[in-house]
Amino acid sequence: MRQEMRLLLAERSLWLVSALFLLLIGYALYNGVHQTTLRDRAQAAITTDDARTRADQLSQLGRIMAGREVPSPFQNPADPARMGGGFGAHHALMPSAPLAPVALGQTDLFPGQFKVTYQSKIHFIHANDIENPWHLLSGHFDLAFVIVYLLPLLIFALSYNLLSVERESGTLKLLLSQPLALRTLVLGKVAVRAGVLLGLAVLVPLGVLLLARPESAGAGTSTLWWSLLVGAYALFWFALVVAVNAFGRSSASNAMLLVISWVVLVLIAPVLLNLGVTAASPAPSRTELATRTRMVTIEAMNRYSKLLSADYRHIGKPEVLLPKDGKIEMSGRALASYSIQKQIDEEIQPDLDRFDAQHARQQQLVARYSLLSPAAVAYEGMTALAGTGARRYAHFHDLMDGHHQAWKKFFFPRIDGGIAITEADFPRIPRFVWTEEDARLIDRQAFPALLKLVMPSLLLLGIAAWRLRSYPVV
Amino acid sequence: MLRAIGLTKTFGAQTALDRLDLDIRPGEIYCLLGANGAGKTTTINLFLNFIAPSAGEVQIDGIDVTRDPVATKQHVAYIPEQVMLYGVLSGLENLDYFSSLALGKRLPRERLLQLMDEVSLDAGAAHKRVSAYSKGMRQKIWIAVALAKQAKAYLLDEPTSGLDPQAASEFSSLLKRASEGGVAVLTTTHDLFHAKQTATRIGIMKKGRLVESLDSAQIGQTDLQALYLQHMRD
Ligand SMILES: Nc1ncnc2c1ncn2[C@@H]1O[C@H](COP(=O)(O)OP(=O)(O)OP(=O)(O)O)[C@@H](O)[C@H]1O
Ligand SMILES: [Mg+2]
Repeated sequence: MRQEMRLLLAERSLWLVSALFLLLIGYALYNGVHQTTLRDRAQAAITTDDARTRADQLSQLGRIMAGREVPSPFQNPADPARMGGGFGAHHALMPSAPLAPVALGQTDLFPGQFKVTYQSKIHFIHANDIENPWHLLSGHFDLAFVIVYLLPLLIFALSYNLLSVERESGTLKLLLSQPLALRTLVLGKVAVRAGVLLGLAVLVPLGVLLLARPESAGAGTSTLWWSLLVGAYALFWFALVVAVNAFGRSSASNAMLLVISWVVLVLIAPVLLNLGVTAASPAPSRTELATRTRMVTIEAMNRYSKLLSADYRHIGKPEVLLPKDGKIEMSGRALASYSIQKQIDEEIQPDLDRFDAQHARQQQLVARYSLLSPAAVAYEGMTALAGTGARRYAHFHDLMDGHHQAWKKFFFPRIDGGIAITEADFPRIPRFVWTEEDARLIDRQAFPALLKLVMPSLLLLGIAAWRLRSYPVV
Repeated sequence: MLRAIGLTKTFGAQTALDRLDLDIRPGEIYCLLGANGAGKTTTINLFLNFIAPSAGEVQIDGIDVTRDPVATKQHVAYIPEQVMLYGVLSGLENLDYFSSLALGKRLPRERLLQLMDEVSLDAGAAHKRVSAYSKGMRQKIWIAVALAKQAKAYLLDEPTSGLDPQAASEFSSLLKRASEGGVAVLTTTHDLFHAKQTATRIGIMKKGRLVESLDSAQIGQTDLQALYLQHMRD
């Protein structure tokens, strides 16, 4: 094996491929860390901003109650309709997971923050995830992309002619005249190449992550799964290379066969899978949902049109906006938009639930048939570990739904009863609290992904072993 | 040491080797003669388990080569007509690489240099890339591997074709030395003179069959030539 390494070192291809791989990994990591840092910073800014606004509102309320300030009708911290709407709203944030930089996944399709108000969820989420069950091509140049798309090609570059070149150049006869089984020879060659590529693919990112995001040191399990996943994915492609070589064709046909399988497994299969899933379980149309929202909105606006136009009488007499004995008079406009939004929320909720159910069905189908494309399995697995995959987003949405409910539960009775928000209420306003998903879920998703890669690899290795027995040495 | 029993190999409808019986003892040099396509290379390939026999058996040191090929290869050194080494490595590195495969362990550097010396390759050549070697030089490296391995049997397929007369005669004396040391040699050639010079026994093959097997000492150079041509005419 050490000898094989020396042989490989003497060839230019190893150096070229390694340098290229290192460059790709480096750029992908830079990109990943950069994007994640931007995101983290933006979220931190939102958090401070939210906190500052809340504090400002509290002191404003103090001044109003002390009679030192006259509230404006649109920005009155005592007004539950304003506070429950946009004025008092806080953001629900999904923080980036420790391994986030390795797979940016759907971070820009699914935003990690929403401004939660009493309005229907339809207003603050964008149901992107509904249309397309599988965003394999997320358009990010991240480590997951490099590994899923490019690593197979680098594996090909180093080993498409693993055996064929030995036969073609006449060295195979010399090798096999030594006490050395063909299988051992192949194993040694693969081990050396896999060692180099996996060493780069696993150790470099690990080092960079530890330096750039020291908190990733705490994500041992995810990191281990990640490494195993990368290893299993590489194993699949090496198994394919060995199986193709075992058929004893020329180096040129091997190269062609391998590139064709790459195109089929990495580019075509995921698309077909998407088409299949969409055909088997079509997503409800988004235009339909939008139309429905519009109709519901118009209906509600018609219903509360009188209230809506009965406004601006406060502008001349701001003192009526002051709380009296814990009660507050809300402007007609504020009440109208509250009533409108409440009606929209109630009427659109069943549609949203239908969307969610449909989405879950699609995800299930995708999970079941992802076996058809190891690239899809690997990509899904990697985004899952990086916390940028569908599962963690679903978890975020669940938390957000809970928060949304709590928010409405807090404000609705106050708006309905015309009860003013007091300074004592402030700490009781529901807060969105992020709780990380159950760590066991990570294992539960990573393990099947690993199996889905290892099983076809074993199958390919089986075929290879069978073909190698009658390998045409001469 | 090298044994074939009823050895037969067919490629589709064509019989490349037909019921060959051979028994080559330590110290013997058995030389196979025959026209192109007579089955000489096929015989050697069968001994190396590069191809599987259609019928019959091949043994090296009493071990059936199809049953335990790896074990039998501990004992054999094989020299093909064209020795193709790794062009990117130097001669010494090739010797190091292959001898470590042959022995399962690396030889010390002094031993490698000593082996280079034994096959009369100088130190300057040892460090040159093999891609710049001549055929004869590559073959010498390969003989050094065989020496390192201390093989009990040699399988040689037209080892002297393309060598200059001096190199060919050097090679012959090397073979003789080896056989005196108890090595069993199976070699093929088209060179009747070389066969007579080196071999202890000579076999003539024709269309996959061994049609003649004689003691080299019992026949003169001209008689051998006459006999060979007569077989080819029939
Ligand atoms: N892999 C193969 N497939 C089909 N036929 C083969 C194969 N190898 C050899 N043969 C046939 O077997 C016969 C014997 O070939 P072999 O190479 O043993 O001849 P040879 O005596 O070594 O000839 P030469 O002197 O040209 O080297 C030939 O007719 C050849 O065409
Ligand atoms: Mg031949």
